[in-house]
Amino acid sequence: MKNTYLWLAQLVAGILVAVTLSIHMVWMHLDTILGALGIDIKEPTSWTSMLARSREIIWATLYIALLTFGLYHALYGLRNVIFELAKSPIARRVVTWTILTLGILALAWGTYVPIVLLRS
Amino acid sequence: MKSNGSKDTTFKVQRYNPEKDTSPYFDIFVVPTTRGMTVLDALLYIKENLDNTLAFRTSCRMAICGSCGMLINHYPHLACHTQIEELRTKTVTIQPLPNLPVIKDLVVDLAPLFEKHKSVKPYIIRSDTAEMDNPSAEFAQSPEELENFLQFTYCIKCGICISACPTSATDELFLGPQALAQCYRYCADTRDHGEQERLPRVDSENGVWHCHLAGACSDACPKGVDPALAIQLLKRRLVVRATKIAKEKGPAPVVSPPTYIKPKLPFPEFTAGRNAATTEG
Repeated sequence: MKNTYLWLAQLVAGILVAVTLSIHMVWMHLDTILGALGIDIKEPTSWTSMLARSREIIWATLYIALLTFGLYHALYGLRNVIFELAKSPIARRVVTWTILTLGILALAWGTYVPIVLLRS
Repeated sequence: MKSNGSKDTTFKVQRYNPEKDTSPYFDIFVVPTTRGMTVLDALLYIKENLDNTLAFRTSCRMAICGSCGMLINHYPHLACHTQIEELRTKTVTIQPLPNLPVIKDLVVDLAPLFEKHKSVKPYIIRSDTAEMDNPSAEFAQSPEELENFLQFTYCIKCGICISACPTSATDELFLGPQALAQCYRYCADTRDHGEQERLPRVDSENGVWHCHLAGACSDACPKGVDPALAIQLLKRRLVVRATKIAKEKGPAPVVSPPTYIKPKLPFPEFTAGRNAATTEG
């Protein structure tokens, strides 16, 4: 059942990427519509707004979640593509561990900034 | 068009004998074709009249045995099921099925297909071996339950779906649409209880999750089977099993003997004399 769980996780991650990315896109680019609805965001793309958002735990969580879901969804897909070329079990193990390491490194690097900003 | 109603069609046939040739090449044959003539008829004409060394596989000539699968005008077809007229070309190119090793000319080795087919245990598996060895009655299955997998029983193992599949083209370890569809066919059969034995084989790196969902297998199948649908249904089965969102059902029970048999209606009176005459005669 291992592969079923991995595939299901990719499916769920895809949905969650769509949700978290939609929140980000709406907040960043539909500020006029949000303003009309009574949610006042002043210059969401400015440096000060970005810094202010980064100091809020809800936004830091959202961006870390988006990164995690995006990384898993993309890297699992990449692994599947490479598996068509790497056929031996050893090569496949190397591919899996390389992708897993890359993913962990990218996640660590990506979460470092919001966590530091959150603490500042 | 000739006086006898036939016209000349050019056949470009791929030839390859691994014992003699270093690479495949094409031979050109001109065949007098008539309306209703199939590609297989033309190949038989070539073998009987033009070149008896041409190798191809054929048997039933009515799209049942699945022997004559080949690439006709760059698309996989059954030669016996493809009329030359419907191709609407003056030159017909014939090649062996791709994604399978070539033995000679148009004959491909179907052993990989059968090996993968065998690996998914395409037969009814039940724990009541005594009943399986000496059946006392049939297993209960409703027409609706049969409908769930009926179309997948029409597979003739011709290998056309595998030759159309882009994933099989890049990865020879991929189980392929034929084996996966047959796995679903038996898992969906209510008489079967062998899902636990079959699913680990398809829930692998070369199994069901490797399908790109191109749907080429379903387009090409000469019997109208939809292997792409079976693969999707198999995925659903695996997810349902992994998440335990549905209750597991046992296999269909043996039908108990009838407790009441409706008596036959008596013969109408006016036939009585006729019946007696028939009995005497």
